[in-house]
Amino acid sequence: MALSKVEKKKFTDESDKQYGYNLRTAREEALRCLLCEDAPCSKGCPAGTDPGSFIKSIRFNNVKGAAETIRSNNILGGTCARVCPYDRLCEEYCSRCGIDKPIQIGRLQRFAVEQEKAFKMKVLEAPQKKKAGKVACIGAGPASLACAAKLATNGYKVTIYDEQEKPGGVLSYGITPSRLPEAVVEHDIKQVKNLGVKFVQNTKVGKDVDLAEMDYDAVFVGVGLWGTHLPAIPGIDKKGVWTAIDFLKEARTKKDAFKPGDNVVVVGGGDVAVDCATSAKLLGAKNVSIVYRRTIEEAPANMMEFKYALNLGIGMTTNMAPAEVLGKTKVESVAFNGRDGVSGLKIKADAVVFAIGQKPEDMDKLAGLKVTEKGFIKAGKNGKTNVTKVFAAGDIVNGGKTVVEAVAAGKEAADSIMAYLAKKEGVK
Amino acid sequence: MAVKKDLSIEYLGVKCENPFFLASSPVGSNYEMVAKAYESGWGGVFYKTTGIFVADECSPRFDQNNKSGVPFIGFKNMEQISDKPTELNFEYMYRLKRDYPDKVMVASVMGSTEEEWKELGRMADQANADLIECNFSCPQMTSHEMGSDVGTNLELVERYSRAISSVTKIPVIAKMTPNITVMEPAAIAAVKGGAKGISAINTVKSITSMDYENMTGMPVVNGVSSVSGYSGTAVKPIGMRFISNLASCKELKGIHLSGIGGIETWNDALDYLLVGARNVQVCTAIMQYGYGIVKDMISGMGHFMEERGVRSLEEFVGLALPNMVPAEDLNRDFKIIPKIDNKKCVGCGRCYVSCYDGAHQAIDWDDKKRKPTINDDCVGCHLCLNVCPVKDCITPGDLVWKEGRKPVEIKMKHHYE
Repeated sequence: MALSKVEKKKFTDESDKQYGYNLRTAREEALRCLLCEDAPCSKGCPAGTDPGSFIKSIRFNNVKGAAETIRSNNILGGTCARVCPYDRLCEEYCSRCGIDKPIQIGRLQRFAVEQEKAFKMKVLEAPQKKKAGKVACIGAGPASLACAAKLATNGYKVTIYDEQEKPGGVLSYGITPSRLPEAVVEHDIKQVKNLGVKFVQNTKVGKDVDLAEMDYDAVFVGVGLWGTHLPAIPGIDKKGVWTAIDFLKEARTKKDAFKPGDNVVVVGGGDVAVDCATSAKLLGAKNVSIVYRRTIEEAPANMMEFKYALNLGIGMTTNMAPAEVLGKTKVESVAFNGRDGVSGLKIKADAVVFAIGQKPEDMDKLAGLKVTEKGFIKAGKNGKTNVTKVFAAGDIVNGGKTVVEAVAAGKEAADSIMAYLAKKEGVK
Repeated sequence: MAVKKDLSIEYLGVKCENPFFLASSPVGSNYEMVAKAYESGWGGVFYKTTGIFVADECSPRFDQNNKSGVPFIGFKNMEQISDKPTELNFEYMYRLKRDYPDKVMVASVMGSTEEEWKELGRMADQANADLIECNFSCPQMTSHEMGSDVGTNLELVERYSRAISSVTKIPVIAKMTPNITVMEPAAIAAVKGGAKGISAINTVKSITSMDYENMTGMPVVNGVSSVSGYSGTAVKPIGMRFISNLASCKELKGIHLSGIGGIETWNDALDYLLVGARNVQVCTAIMQYGYGIVKDMISGMGHFMEERGVRSLEEFVGLALPNMVPAEDLNRDFKIIPKIDNKKCVGCGRCYVSCYDGAHQAIDWDDKKRKPTINDDCVGCHLCLNVCPVKDCITPGDLVWKEGRKPVEIKMKHHYE
């Protein structure tokens, strides 16, 4: 059944409102916090956002201090508050789990960042006196934004090059707006722009400009994974077969004008699969189903997101791998084979979306970087690559993980870039 | 980066980096504790009261009061003054002042005779304390020669204040008991005796709750219990009232005040400053949460100064006093009728119940739609606004003049948290 207008509103605006706090409800939630010694939740955040501190600030009526903690530690604090798999990170470490349920850390973080915006706070400032080192960041996704922000806060001149029209990478062209509203991403990116970071959009390094000719003391590569991925099964070239990236981009750019069809099948078990399914449903598809080749426990998606999909009336089938796309010229149905070798499934479909992981685009054009068999850039934990002045982090190195992990990796790479520049002759 | 404001304020000639002090209590009992508090950001300490008398304590000695499951609304303790040898305490104070010269060390002392007060004054002098606080107010001393029994006796307050002031140039502060109807006479007596500052309040005599196993109060000490001092959030309104009275007292003009009682956040501290305190002392909140709470006190106060464009805390001291008047001076010619935002109302009916059972039956309840409406019987008491669980659902609405009263310009409060 297609969602009615009222339902659609309920699942977009109102559910969003329900998850929001006001000062009173935020303090009520913060009152549940046990204010642990050496807060374990803070250790559960890869990006070091320090929930232990910001919850304490909300508890003790210092909401601005909470916003300050978040923004100073995590440049994408607003975004992470929406898309982080909290249940597997900070909230899993929450000592309150030993009593009942964890503190709703994500929602408190969201509240604090909303207050930052409401009070027009400017938490981060770049020093007036700039350092000599110039750094280029390639890509405008989470890793690059985090790296650029940290470098700029420390006085370096940073330019971001990005092939898309708008910065944000996966935040602007991937994750669906019902999960991550555009305004939230824009507010986070504004903080990076306020630091004086220059954004050069619609420019693909390696195609529009040559890395070798760019005059920078260091280069950070955080281009993410935009290579499309389809399984080699019969019928895969039929009309109506989508890769997740193209499907979400279409949904994001064409908005309500995009009509994927009445019956949409999404193949995959990650957050991206759920995003594709919920987008399809909110765009008006009547029947949307997610089919995953493994079990729910094995699925990488956030359980909260699965629950949201279920609320929207999206079904889920597990232990089924795609076998064939059927139809004359256009998709009419999709056939699946069971993992047990016995079961099978055939679903009517006007569109089938494969959300089975992204792969890197060809990195050869970028300065002769060493890559893995799968094409990811080979880089250490500190972001160092085989080319002296080139550093890399985020999905393009780790093969595709969460936003918060990309932020963490971007921050770490910024540290090693600064260490490198401090030693490099002629830059000081 | 993070807002960094200058929170410094002068107090009895001593520059304090901020107005946040440990109260003379268990939280500042030895070198390590005070050192850790300093490192956490506290501006100074009123060190645990030291006497010639060394306390012998009971076990257990604490109880806490909760309301609807929220613990520590109030806290009861049976501790007396320090149980450490007098010389050791002064040695700690000396070392702390030597190792942390920018932090303010206040030696809190308590004697039982003029000679003892003098001796303690000399020892505080030798320990290089910045200030001396005379504890005239502990309500659970085992000797009636000391504590709040002294604080309610004007003659003793004056005599002991004079005794200690006569042996040292260090400014002397008198810490007062709230277990008294009015505090001004005792404070004036202390000042006559030479005190330069007043701290208030010490704990309120109390029985928190009963134990049905032993049919006595809490805490249970060998099957019995005693009346003893109550502190924490519950006593803040009492402390604020006394500070405000002292600050408005003509005879005490120019006397520096230190606020104590129920301070946990930056705005608790600000509240005390607004009614005339120059700094605040904290114990109960630290006993519950630790020294770390000062970080949000510093940060929150800084943000508020930034918001209000205030450059020095001095601007806040006593700022609200001109607006605190006797009950007979209030304008009683009007009422402010609350307004209910139907869109925000969740239909719980709490306002209806409270108005009917506790006020003026001025809310009509539509039991089908589950919506309240204010009727003509409303007197503008705002009980409904205070019980409503939804933020900004019930707010001040129309201003209505009582019949025959002359309308004038009225200042209203608009924003509720």
